[in-house]
Amino acid sequence: MKLGVIMSDYRIGSDVIDRLTAEKLGIIFVGNGVYHAAAKEAGKTSSLLEKTANLYVLTEDLESRGFTSANLDSRVKAVTYSDLVDLIFNDYEKTIWL
Amino acid sequence: MATKKLLFVVRALPYKTEASRLALTHAISSQSVEIYLKDGDLVEGSVAFIGDGVMNCLKNQQAMKHYGITSIEGHMKNTLLLDMKVMVCKEDLDKFGIKEDALLMDAEDIGGETNAQVVPYSEIQKEMESVDHLLFC
Amino acid sequence: MGKLTIGCFSSLVGSLSLDFSVKLAEAAVKKGHTVDYWMSGNATMLSKKGQKAFKDYSYLAKSVQELLATGKFQITACEACAAARGYHKEDTMEGVKSHSMDWYLASTFEADRVLHIGGD
Repeated sequence: MKLGVIMSDYRIGSDVIDRLTAEKLGIIFVGNGVYHAAAKEAGKTSSLLEKTANLYVLTEDLESRGFTSANLDSRVKAVTYSDLVDLIFNDYEKTIWL
Repeated sequence: MATKKLLFVVRALPYKTEASRLALTHAISSQSVEIYLKDGDLVEGSVAFIGDGVMNCLKNQQAMKHYGITSIEGHMKNTLLLDMKVMVCKEDLDKFGIKEDALLMDAEDIGGETNAQVVPYSEIQKEMESVDHLLFC
Repeated sequence: MGKLTIGCFSSLVGSLSLDFSVKLAEAAVKKGHTVDYWMSGNATMLSKKGQKAFKDYSYLAKSVQELLATGKFQITACEACAAARGYHKEDTMEGVKSHSMDWYLASTFEADRVLHIGGD
C-alpha cells in the first residue's frame, strides 16, 4: 500500500511509524510534528528522518512555530495545505494521523 | 453491491481521553450504516489494538462503578457480539507482560460467538493493507 | 476530482488539530474536491452557534459557513456526542447537520480518501 502518515506529535507516535511497512511510505510533519523536521536534540536529528525518503513538512505549521525553511533538515520538503491535498489524493492511497 | 472495509487502529490508552471509546462506538455503528447506502452496499468495520492501546482489552474494568460510564470492556463485548473482527497485538501484550487470561476475549455471557484474537503485529499490518481506509485512534 | 471524508474528534480552541482539519477541508474544496466533515467527541463544539471571534482564540465558524456556501462541503455533528455536552438542535449553527455515528461510516463508502483525526 501507499501510505501517508500525517505526524502531528513530537514525543509520541514514533514507535508506530517504526513498525509500519508500505510499498511507499510518506511522512508529513504537521502541528508539533514539525519539530522532527526542524529541531535537533543534543545535536542529533530525529530518527524518523531515516524512515523514508518521502518527508514533508507543512509550511504553515513550521512558520507558526518560528521556524523557516532555513531550519529544515535537507531531507524534508516544505509543502503547503494545497500541496498536502495533492499528496493525499495523488500519492498515497491511505492516510493516517498520528 | 459493494463492501467497503475500515480498520480502526487503537493506540490510545483508555479513559483519560475518549479516543478508544469513540473508536469502538464508531466501529459498532457500521451495523446500521446501510440506512444511508444503496441496497446491498455495506461498510464493514474491524478493530486492532496496538502499542499502549492493548490496555483497553483488560478484563474487570470498573468504570461503571466509579464513573458511571460504560467501560471500554463493555464496548468491546458489543463489538464481539456483533461478530466484528477484533485483533490485539501479541508483541505489545508481551512487552507489558500481559497474558491472554487477563484480557476480554469473548462476549459469551451476552450471547456472542466471536472471540478477540491475539495476533502478531504482522497480521495487523496485513489487515491494514487489505482494508479500504485506516482510522488511527 | 474526488471526495475526502474527514473525521475530527479534537476540541475547538483547545487543539489546533481541529483548525488543521478545517484548513485542509478548505484547501481540498478550493482544488475542486468535495469534503464530508464529521465531528465527534470534543469536535462537536464546532457545531455550536454563537462562537465569538477573538484574536487569542481559534475562530472557525466563519470558515465553516464559507465552506458550506461552496456547495462542496457537508458538515455533520455526532448527535450523541453533542447532546452529552449540552448542545442540542437549537444550539447548532445553520447548515450543520446532526446524525448518529453511522453517518460517518456511510460517508467513507464513497470517499476516495479518509482522514481520521482521533482526538486532542
